[in-house]
Amino acid sequence: MIELRGLSKTFVGRDGSTVEALRNVDLKVTDGEFLTILGPSGCGKTTLLKTVAGLVSWDSGDILIDGTPVTGPGPDRAMVFQSFALMPWATVVENIAFGLQLRGVRKAEREERARELVRTVGLDGFEKKRPGELSGGMQQRVGLARALAVDPQVLLMDEPFGAVDEQTRRLLQEELLSIWEKTKLTVVFITHSMEEAVLLGDRVALMSARPGEIAEIVPVPLERPRSSDVHALERSTAYVELTAYLWDRLRDMHEEHRRGVAAGGASGGAG
Amino acid sequence: MAERALVQLTGTAGATAEPSRRQFPAPRSGWRRLDVPLTYQVLTFVAFAGVWQLYATQRGGLLMPTFTETMAALVDLLGRGEFWQAMYVSNQALFIGFAIAVSVGVPTGVMLGRFRTVERFADVYLNILLVTPMAAIIPLLIMSVGFGLASRVILVTVFAVVLVIVSCRAGVRQIDPSLIEMARAYGATEAQVWRRILIPAALPAIMTGIRLGLGRAVTGMVLVELLMVSVALGGLILEFRGMFQGALLYATIVAILAEALILINIARWIERRATPWAQTTSSPRSFQ
Repeated sequence: MIELRGLSKTFVGRDGSTVEALRNVDLKVTDGEFLTILGPSGCGKTTLLKTVAGLVSWDSGDILIDGTPVTGPGPDRAMVFQSFALMPWATVVENIAFGLQLRGVRKAEREERARELVRTVGLDGFEKKRPGELSGGMQQRVGLARALAVDPQVLLMDEPFGAVDEQTRRLLQEELLSIWEKTKLTVVFITHSMEEAVLLGDRVALMSARPGEIAEIVPVPLERPRSSDVHALERSTAYVELTAYLWDRLRDMHEEHRRGVAAGGASGGAG
Repeated sequence: MAERALVQLTGTAGATAEPSRRQFPAPRSGWRRLDVPLTYQVLTFVAFAGVWQLYATQRGGLLMPTFTETMAALVDLLGRGEFWQAMYVSNQALFIGFAIAVSVGVPTGVMLGRFRTVERFADVYLNILLVTPMAAIIPLLIMSVGFGLASRVILVTVFAVVLVIVSCRAGVRQIDPSLIEMARAYGATEAQVWRRILIPAALPAIMTGIRLGLGRAVTGMVLVELLMVSVALGGLILEFRGMFQGALLYATIVAILAEALILINIARWIERRATPWAQTTSSPRSFQ
């Protein structure tokens, strides 16, 4: 269980300007839940995820994982990055085994584990390739496998499919669903796509920008498992209505933001 | 085209290279891969030699030997003990100076790239080193350390070290910050971040810096001998000039050029072997 209580964070620029990235965020993610966080760009959703990852400090509030306060990165959490963040000099297997290598797992052992995950993410035959030889979709499979390799309780995904093309993205979504259905990990998944948020999530946390606040938490009333028939799911009334609702809310936020800018009320700077 | 063929060459010639790393369409045969860049190089060389030969026969004088005369003199030179003695003395300064430049320049450049405070202090001096015509400090050097090996070594070091530092600094600076963040997210300690991320990520730029520095080191070696300490290869050049032995003078220069080319190609080869990914990342992707 991940618990965020009254989490606030303000970035101060060199020139003294401030951006309130997070304001009083309360959030609970139960074990085995797939939570998607949806919001306009610059709303602080990535900052939120990085605080949970222990990569970014915060000003006030608490983050608890199973009751233990977060003070930095930990072996219970693994992160998947939008930019993949793969080491270009290392092979697929070495990249996947990286987390285990840092923990001092023996080479033979960690590479065996990495090879298992190569199969899980469908990269058989690419074990010795380097990231530069892989497509974006394949690179993110490596990123996902690296996260799974350390056997985390929580998977933190920062717009993981944001940098791949639409077709690859849909394939990766389906694969992520089927992997998650088997592992039952707790997932916090950042996205700016309504469709993605609904397709993957048990609940969608809707964030507003500047300050970054949780505006609403919307339960997704779609049945699991979803990976078997994504096609039918995307045509169901519940899916269509929910994505339309989320878009309405997001459009309102954009509208508000624009009025705010026009009135000179925006603090400026990207979050 | 030449790049492509070279990448392939290193990709297949290396003992550790797996066949899977090759990603271009397979060449028709082995010799073709070798032949294409070589053909261009041979062609340009022949053209160059031809123009030289023609010009020298038409308007050449005492100090303008023909290409063939120079080649003959080169053969003569390679058979002389004084040439090899000069080579030995010059290269002594070159290798000691270059080794110092690398062992000082790489850590300095990495530190400058990583730590802003260090950079703030050192930036001024680095810029001075970058813009100063190095030849201007030769008299200063001679005055303080004399005509011996020391002054030649110092000059080679000063010549080479700047490029090594600048290149290493750039290499560390352009490391993708998300890689460092990734390592931290997976629990890397500061030492692990250095060992597993910063050093390998900066390695291509470090190797390039070493190669560029080597070229500068050769320049420094010859320059100091020419300008001040008339010894070794530089001394030989001055001597041949003094005796109006044009062909031998040119042959000496050709020998120095040949050595520089060989050294730089060795450096390039090591660079490719040490950082094969740096060549593959920019190449076209072969599959989706």
